[in-house]
Amino acid sequence: MKKYSLSHKRYLRNLYLKDFFTHLVRVLLLLAIIGLWELSASKNWADPFITSSPSRVVKQLVALISNGSLWHHSWVTLYETLLAFGISTLLGTGVALILYLLPFMRRVLEPYLIVLNALPKIALGPLIIVWVGTGTKAIVVMGILICIVITTISMLSGYLSVEKEKILLMKTMGASPLQILFRLIIPASFPDFISVLKINVGMSFVGTIMGEYLTSKAGLGYLIVYGGQVFKLDLVMSAIVVLCLMATLMYALVALLEKCVKRR
Amino acid sequence: MENLLTINNLQLIYHSPKSETQALKDLTFSVQEGEFVSIVGPSGCGKTTILSLIAGILRPTSGEILLANEKIEKPTSLVGYMFQRDNLFEWLNIWKNVTLGLRLKKSLTNENKEYARSLLKKYGLEEFSSSMPSELSGGMRQRVALIRTLCLRPKLLLLDEPFSALDYQTRLLVQDDVSSIIKSEKKTAVLVTHDIYEAIAMSTRIVVLSSRPGTVKKIIDLDFDPALTPFNRRKLKKFNKYFDEIWGLLQ
Ligand SMILES: Nc1ncnc2c1ncn2[C@@H]1O[C@H](COP(=O)(O)OP(=O)(O)OP(=O)(O)O)[C@@H](O)[C@H]1O
Ligand SMILES: [Mg+2]
Repeated sequence: MKKYSLSHKRYLRNLYLKDFFTHLVRVLLLLAIIGLWELSASKNWADPFITSSPSRVVKQLVALISNGSLWHHSWVTLYETLLAFGISTLLGTGVALILYLLPFMRRVLEPYLIVLNALPKIALGPLIIVWVGTGTKAIVVMGILICIVITTISMLSGYLSVEKEKILLMKTMGASPLQILFRLIIPASFPDFISVLKINVGMSFVGTIMGEYLTSKAGLGYLIVYGGQVFKLDLVMSAIVVLCLMATLMYALVALLEKCVKRR
Repeated sequence: MENLLTINNLQLIYHSPKSETQALKDLTFSVQEGEFVSIVGPSGCGKTTILSLIAGILRPTSGEILLANEKIEKPTSLVGYMFQRDNLFEWLNIWKNVTLGLRLKKSLTNENKEYARSLLKKYGLEEFSSSMPSELSGGMRQRVALIRTLCLRPKLLLLDEPFSALDYQTRLLVQDDVSSIIKSEKKTAVLVTHDIYEAIAMSTRIVVLSSRPGTVKKIIDLDFDPALTPFNRRKLKKFNKYFDEIWGLLQ
């Protein structure tokens, strides 16, 4: 153990306290929100029929778990999301690479990319259903559409931002274009890849839920729409809670991946 | 001694949609084996352009560059280029950075590895082999960059303001380091610099360029005892005389 000076010890102590305090307030905030929500429902400040309440959500979740449908719906959504996430990340990264390697094509396609990026993908909903049919396929396609454009644009700008001088350096060392690609461009844009993954965690859920709003027989998005239609707000809230947990978990996995690769 | 590098009537014009820029005009000079030639000149006069042309990453508009009597068409392993920034790959450790060129050429033989290791050792970086670039100081990084260049055993080293990112004190130290490395590895070097003192301290000859389009204004042979380090040169009277001469030329 290193011996620290008194002032450094004080500094560390303050740091620790600040950290602890931040966490404490975070938890308290959550408890306060839940508490207030419960209180307002039980005192009838707000109609629990409309706002639901934590205890109702818990009751609803227990019911969903005991009849097994929670797993079913969560799994359906997770499955669709992972598919959309995986396919769009791979495709987008690949398309970006092709555009990077073919500057002419990149210049030609640039305005199309911009339009596609600006287009609200939900507008394509009816087309998707007509073209690929209803159900899982349409939902995954919706998820892919939402993620792929931003993936392509982000990765392309990642590849393009690799320092020119490093490319020149590789050339002076006699590197072939393929070597430049695999030893410089791809590893150098890894941080961009991670941030694309992080964005896509959120985006793929957006796409999937939108897809499920559009056409579905199961999934958390289905539960939410269904709950809304029959005015079972407990169901809506429960599905949202589960969705929050799932998205957080997936984000944490990406963050873990980032840490692992960085430490290597 | 034989000319290692000959530059004949070199012209270079840069083209951009709005304008064309003549960067170099009628540039002629040569470098003999074992020499340390510095190029000084006003900002934007085409110094970096000259190095890019010698390195074969840029084609001249007209004129020719001969390296060991062969015309330069593309990058060759006879030339090693060190940029202003060290350009270390942050995701590779020092050993992998140093041996990058060998890997690219698929010549990571035991002999070459041994050479790389001996360079690291000689220049005090052996224990950092498995460190990441971010853990090294600016001066150390610059030495790593030099060793990366040396590993490919180039005959001619091109240095583009390699010390300008360093603080003054480190700069003086690294100048001594680099100078002794280049001497002991028996390399020929062309150094581009803004710093007249640095040019006088390190070179055997200085090429003074005019402002754009760059062309040779004067070539100055420096007369110093080859055993002197750059730092010790600075203490001599001659040093200031040379400075005044070059300063005058650049006005
Ligand atoms: N890719 C390019 N396209 C167009 N003009 C260029 C390009 N590169 C350099 N130039 C121009 O050519 C001239 C010479 O550039 P160069 O970089 O060789 O100068 P330099 O002497 O190295 O300058 P500095 O001392 O500032 O590093 C400059 O006027 C610059 O604006
Ligand atoms: Mg320059």
